[in-house]
Amino acid sequence: MSRLYIHSASAFIGEANADINLLKEELRRYARENFRRVNRFILLALLGARKCIHGQVLDADTAIYLTTEHGNLGDTAAVLDEIYGAHSLPKPFSFINTMSNTAAFYIAQNLSARGRNITVSSQRLSFERGIDLLTVDFAAGVERSALIGGVDMASLSGAGGEDRDSRGWRMVDGSGWFYIRPEREDACGVFRGNRSFRDGATCLQWIRKRGELPADMVAFGASIGDDEADRWREALHPAAGFDYLGDYGYSGSAAACGIGMFVKNFQGRTLLHINRDPRGNYVLLEVEVF
Amino acid sequence: MREGAFVTGKAMICSIGETPGEIVEAVRRRRIKLEHLPFTLAGLSYTRPYYLIMRNEGDRPENRSEGYFTEILFSTVARAIADAGLSNDEIGETHLFFGSTSMDVPVFEGGHHNSSAAVSEIFLRSSNGYGKIASAVMERFGIGGCSYTFTTACTSSANAFLYAASMIGQGRIGRALVIGYDLFNNLGFYGFEGLKSLASSTYRPFDRQRDGLILGEACGAVVLEGKRREAGDFRFLGGANLCDIYSVTSHDEEGTAIAETMNRALRQTGIDPGAIRAVKAHATGTENNDRTECAAMRLTFRGNIPPVTSVKPFIGHTAGACGVCELILFTESLKAGFIPSTPGFREMDEELNLTPLTENGKAGEGVFMLNYFGFGGNCTTLILSNEGGKG
Repeated sequence: MSRLYIHSASAFIGEANADINLLKEELRRYARENFRRVNRFILLALLGARKCIHGQVLDADTAIYLTTEHGNLGDTAAVLDEIYGAHSLPKPFSFINTMSNTAAFYIAQNLSARGRNITVSSQRLSFERGIDLLTVDFAAGVERSALIGGVDMASLSGAGGEDRDSRGWRMVDGSGWFYIRPEREDACGVFRGNRSFRDGATCLQWIRKRGELPADMVAFGASIGDDEADRWREALHPAAGFDYLGDYGYSGSAAACGIGMFVKNFQGRTLLHINRDPRGNYVLLEVEVF
Repeated sequence: MREGAFVTGKAMICSIGETPGEIVEAVRRRRIKLEHLPFTLAGLSYTRPYYLIMRNEGDRPENRSEGYFTEILFSTVARAIADAGLSNDEIGETHLFFGSTSMDVPVFEGGHHNSSAAVSEIFLRSSNGYGKIASAVMERFGIGGCSYTFTTACTSSANAFLYAASMIGQGRIGRALVIGYDLFNNLGFYGFEGLKSLASSTYRPFDRQRDGLILGEACGAVVLEGKRREAGDFRFLGGANLCDIYSVTSHDEEGTAIAETMNRALRQTGIDPGAIRAVKAHATGTENNDRTECAAMRLTFRGNIPPVTSVKPFIGHTAGACGVCELILFTESLKAGFIPSTPGFREMDEELNLTPLTENGKAGEGVFMLNYFGFGGNCTTLILSNEGGKG
């Protein structure tokens, strides 16, 4: 199986509802182009992706995998207002931007990346499912270079406008990205595994069968409640934890951002990321930073 | 040993029927049902045609409630599962691949079409993310595998199919349910009118007088498995997806990126362009799409373009659902012995220099190419075959 070597990673975490000009200003640190007709979601996607590949030359065939929980719903809501509130036809680019894959397109256009261009979602496991798709394409040999990221806006991350969610996490804009190639040379890390399980018991059984914890740090996705996280810690006895939700805040793409932060900050360490969807399906994502 | 991915079950509802048999018969006889819908909310005095599911008065957009949308979705999925003859255990081991452009917007509009000023706020508070509909399907049917929701504009369910089939081909999963789902919504209908992309009366892909697309609504579901269940089951041979970075709204008119997508799909399957028996074109009927697609077919097939057809004049452009729905309509017609014609085509556009099938063609065993394109430069080609299924 092709390994997913991480050649660079980024995580942009922004204040909820920050002035969009601040995002544009931040983006100018990584890209000289002026981006017209783009909204907050697209800017976040561009910012994370450009930050990730800053200074690197991409292959023309590079694929883009954008994962998102909520997508470009801000524009969708604005267009609904145009129709139902203002009683008018939507503005053309507002309508086009309701399609969240436009963000993946603008990344591809900006980076001249002509490979696959996929936008995918999966309740609470969007980033992990994006990794599944990338794995399939690398295994088939149809892609040898890819950018994969998670992007979500704070205002659409389920807090109903409040700046903290019910568990006390700060609501943030999030855009976490990884430049992936199948070669180890020059890589800074690797996604060692991305395994799905039908329930927590099967997941735990798999970890125990391996004889030792496959990582020295453990992190939990947003769906794992505090009590459940305690039970996992008790069962696994990890050397250390990585509470990216508490440290950096929550967005629909917190997993991508948290793992991006791990790659940037924990050289020489390995991470086991445990996450699940509302139906109780679990995914273990193993990351090693060289 | 795995033989690839086979379509072993299917179901679909659209403007011309709610069973594959009914739909194929309408296609064979070129029976089309078009409604004309107004832009009442925008205070405009004209109408535009739309391929609406109209089984009874309850189907009219203004009469639809939130429950309507789950009834359409769940009944289609139930019929696809029954068609494949899946046991409860098999359903439990199935993975779900869902493709849509509008996602939960029709459901929201169905529940709040009388709201006005605060509509965006209600929408933002009620939306639980793109994966919600797929999760509801899994919950309802006891589907226990992984779920993937694709939102790549009009290629959404084609990409869902591409990945489901690829995962089966690689032995990663044994079975997949692939759904294409886009029902009428004002956001899409008004949005495309805002782009001036809607045709005024008749769908005419590739025709000199073509004047745009006509939207339609549909829900289609296919079951994909690693083994053929019946002799006629279509086999996925390969496919490709690429990004045409020319423009967010239109494709490079030279057709280079689209041709490259077709060529990569062909290379992946090891099939020579000359072996393609017929092409189901994307053919939206817009000026740019049809010109680009013809240019791409000339690049791919050189002087020997196989018979080309567009099935959109039968069911409309069903947006993100068109990947699965056009695949069902096309392959079921082939099973019934004919390649569907392209109704509405009358006069060749010399610039395109292409005449699609104007009468139903004779189908047999062969390899078929299905093309799909969308906003955001998304290009997807699927290659399917019904060869080797007999005996």
